[in-house]
Amino acid sequence: MNMAPPLHSGQQQSLNRFFTRPDGSKPPSKRQATLFSSAGRSKKTAAIIDDSDSTIKLNGDDVEVKTELNADEVEDKAIDKTSQLSTSDDIKSEGDLDQMFIPSPPSSPVSTQEEEKMKKRRRSRSASPTSDRKKQIKQEKSMKEEAEAVASSDEDVLDKSSALSEEEIIQELPLAKIAFDNDSSWPRNSPVPYAALCATFEKIEATTKRLEIISYCSAFLFQVLDLSPSSFLTVVYLFINRLGPDYEGVEIGLGEAILMKAIGECTGRSLAQIRADYRTTGDLGTVARDSRNNQPTMFKPKPLTADGVFKNLKEIAKITGSQSQAKKVGIINKMLAACQGNEAKYLVRSLEGKLRIHLAEKTVLSAIAQAAVSFEAKKTNKRPDPANIVKAEEILRAVYSEMPTYDLIIPAIIKDGIMKLRESCQLTPCVPLKPMLAKPTKSITEVLDRFSDQKFTCEYKYDGERAQIHYVAETGTTRVYSRNSEDMSAKYPDIVSAIPRFITEQTTSFVLDCEAVAWDRETNRILPFQVLSTRKRKDVQEGSIKVRVCVFAFDLLYLNGRALLRTSLSERRELLHSHFQEVEGEFSFAVYRDGSNVDEIQEFLDQSVKDSCEGLMVKMLDGEESGYEPSKRSRNWLKLKKDYLTGVGDSLDLVVIGAFYGRGKRTNWYGAFLLACYNPDTQEYETICKIGTGFSEEILESLHQSLSKTVIDQPRSYYSYAQSTATAPDVWFEPTMVWEVLAADLSLSPVYKAALSELGRGKGVSLRFPRFIRIRDDKAVEQATSSEQVSEFYLAQASAGGNQAADEFAEDY
Amino acid sequence: MLEGKLEQASLFKKIVDAVKELVQDCNFDCSDSGIALQAMDTSHVSLVSLLLNADGFSEYRCDRNIALGLNLTSLTKILRCGNNEDMLTLEAQENPDSLTVRFENTQQDRMSEYALKLMDIDQEHLGIPETEYAATITLPSAEFQRICRDMSAISESITIECTKAGVKFSCEGDIGNGSVTLKPSASADHPEAATKIELSEPVSLTLSTKYLLNFCKATGLSPSVSLKLADENPILVEYPLASGHLRFYLAPKLDE
Repeated sequence: MNMAPPLHSGQQQSLNRFFTRPDGSKPPSKRQATLFSSAGRSKKTAAIIDDSDSTIKLNGDDVEVKTELNADEVEDKAIDKTSQLSTSDDIKSEGDLDQMFIPSPPSSPVSTQEEEKMKKRRRSRSASPTSDRKKQIKQEKSMKEEAEAVASSDEDVLDKSSALSEEEIIQELPLAKIAFDNDSSWPRNSPVPYAALCATFEKIEATTKRLEIISYCSAFLFQVLDLSPSSFLTVVYLFINRLGPDYEGVEIGLGEAILMKAIGECTGRSLAQIRADYRTTGDLGTVARDSRNNQPTMFKPKPLTADGVFKNLKEIAKITGSQSQAKKVGIINKMLAACQGNEAKYLVRSLEGKLRIHLAEKTVLSAIAQAAVSFEAKKTNKRPDPANIVKAEEILRAVYSEMPTYDLIIPAIIKDGIMKLRESCQLTPCVPLKPMLAKPTKSITEVLDRFSDQKFTCEYKYDGERAQIHYVAETGTTRVYSRNSEDMSAKYPDIVSAIPRFITEQTTSFVLDCEAVAWDRETNRILPFQVLSTRKRKDVQEGSIKVRVCVFAFDLLYLNGRALLRTSLSERRELLHSHFQEVEGEFSFAVYRDGSNVDEIQEFLDQSVKDSCEGLMVKMLDGEESGYEPSKRSRNWLKLKKDYLTGVGDSLDLVVIGAFYGRGKRTNWYGAFLLACYNPDTQEYETICKIGTGFSEEILESLHQSLSKTVIDQPRSYYSYAQSTATAPDVWFEPTMVWEVLAADLSLSPVYKAALSELGRGKGVSLRFPRFIRIRDDKAVEQATSSEQVSEFYLAQASAGGNQAADEFAEDY
Repeated sequence: MLEGKLEQASLFKKIVDAVKELVQDCNFDCSDSGIALQAMDTSHVSLVSLLLNADGFSEYRCDRNIALGLNLTSLTKILRCGNNEDMLTLEAQENPDSLTVRFENTQQDRMSEYALKLMDIDQEHLGIPETEYAATITLPSAEFQRICRDMSAISESITIECTKAGVKFSCEGDIGNGSVTLKPSASADHPEAATKIELSEPVSLTLSTKYLLNFCKATGLSPSVSLKLADENPILVEYPLASGHLRFYLAPKLDE
């Protein structure tokens, strides 16, 4: 018999929802009695009221702080805040709002005038009746909102990815501390309750303001650092909803079917009911929460902990083989049975792999920096310095992009502090770094404007897959990572085995940035991306490779134990050329030219397109700005694509014949549509693509209104579509509407039927990246783009871009 | 050691059939007073509690308390090997690793014996407190089964509303709604066919149809069933046995 662990009363009560344990670990009898005789329900409402109360209080707090900030004396502000910070504990325990207005320490240079003002306000505040106070709060709230608006518009002007400004942090800091109500605290050194994490999720989801999100997030992380530092890593992973670093490839993302099954089993509901609920809410998390709260359990198992949930998530992700589904459902059930309040909602969302609380990883990084700095400051009883936070954030971002694994970063933060992160965590081969990205440009002159009076270079932009090759001779390890840091070594055994051929003797370890491009060994030319995408992804045997790749190296990030991120591109390129050698058809250096004027670039661009490349990359060649900036879409790298220059080509006018139910934001509307072109010869509508991009919410709503009236039970006999159920839309429509659609490309597809007979290749034409432009009211459905036109478009593109070769190639194999 | 003899195997068969819908593995706790079982279903929404008193057996002895961890699916397989009218004996040694199940037919010329491996089940015993129920309804078990079955076609939950005038089962689903009202009745000839209501205050609970239907698997065990209700508390559905009981508890649904 398990004794219930000693818990504080809040948890205890939930354990015994209805019954007591026989071992005498009863909560105070009074509480038990109420629970029993009546008050389950009324208690619940009480809790809710409580909750809203605290949010109101919260807003009040923020407001106070903000107004304080609007005052002139910056230094005064800072000190005032810290005094709040250091006394945040008192505030928590006493819950007294006025506690916050602790006068600044006498040593601080407070102007008496300011102090006088504060006093006045304090007095008026304590004297004013509640209604007045509410009004006051309201006023201040609107002020605050204004401030927020200003802040956020500022933010738009700045680069979104850039670190927070000092000013923003000054605003956030106090907010972060006070935002935390003591409900979600837990005893020191005990595991982090999942409920506390979910309470934070809840707050984050309720706002769309980035500053607020960061403050909630960092306040929670601060608490974790303070109370249960060993759970810090887990909590960070749960925040970003991942199970480990990207390159380990452990992902969760369970399907809807299995989750619905688990929810049903756990709450005694039928699958049909759950499916119906899902359709109306569009969020399985909400369905789970409502099902759970509607059907309570007899006894509560122990409350979930963040570590426990994370462990289970990882376990589920790793289950494979026979009966894996049943085993997964078993684990999910156990967790769901223990869920209370909102926990089920976020648990299910985590299981789905979509937390959907507008919490980007970038935001979490900011929050980590803030929490770590505040925590370190608290340890030394100092106030956190906003400047330090800005610095910490920069460091964390930089280190994270060089070494994107929290597994190493978080322990280093806890051990040596965030300020020493650069020393304790450095670029290491076999830990993939986030690749540097390029900014798109629309014209050559734009490029010249950016690089005026600077030395720059142009390189071919190969149309393949970004590959980061890591190699350590000592241990004999080699890894190929994708753009998203996934391990692709198994996909590219040919690259791995080619390494000894293209390195020179003095090369012992390196990290190369390259593009892996499909290569025709017979004609020695580059094949388009489509060919590359036909390569097998898993268990590739080197002997059976049909699509050969050639690696085009364009950057060297690490060589023989030295990180080269901060050396100039010209130097890196020199090292690259001196330490590696080209092997025909396996390894080449990217073709480059250090051009300077429009004509030269234009000529080089034309040449690149002729050589089956996408266009050019234009890079800063010398000086500080030519360093490698991991994960940044930097203005020091510009891409010049052929299609940016020529425009995307003609648009198509297509008929809407089906739709898919929307999820998430698009719940209750159609989320995507099935389009068709018209074949006047057969008078059939031939499917061409699914489209979900280019719609505003207003349009989606009005489309739903007008299209839902044209729903038909079955597709018309004159629709030509793939019979498989997997691609069939949720609803079919009468052909009534024509849309203008733009696409990046046309490709052959076994799923879609457009121009099937015109091309006579057994495959239809489909659109890549279709985008909705507008409704063509002026066109009747029969005037939509015809199959013949589609086929012409396709052939024109094929002859221009070498797609022909791709398709022929694909057909050969 | 444990030795328990039942005159008719059908009783034990029916009990296991009724319980196995809710629980896969559970402990049978044997003591000198009888055999008891208490377990929650995997979703922790319902609880089953069985008591077979020692005097319900034709022969019974148990020297020391033992917990027999059984997989009910496996137990069912073995129980199928005997006829309903057979005499059934359950036997286990001290610190057993298996349970012996013996069947003897009524002519006593056929005896079969099976051993079922035991499992270690870590089960938490949870105290079921005495609750003062606001209403106790006794009705024919077949009637209760029929109501649950009929309503399961309409809705995933059934509301049981008890007043002085009678008890009303109602449900509401997408296709429509329905209700059955039973009034207290007394039948001198067939006391088990009567509907009785003891009420201290009106009460109403909404319950999951799926679980109630599972409880109804025990209908064959007793001609009547009693439902005990108290506001905000689990319903108690009790099938009385000749000497003992089979009880089910179900946490009510909360209104949204």
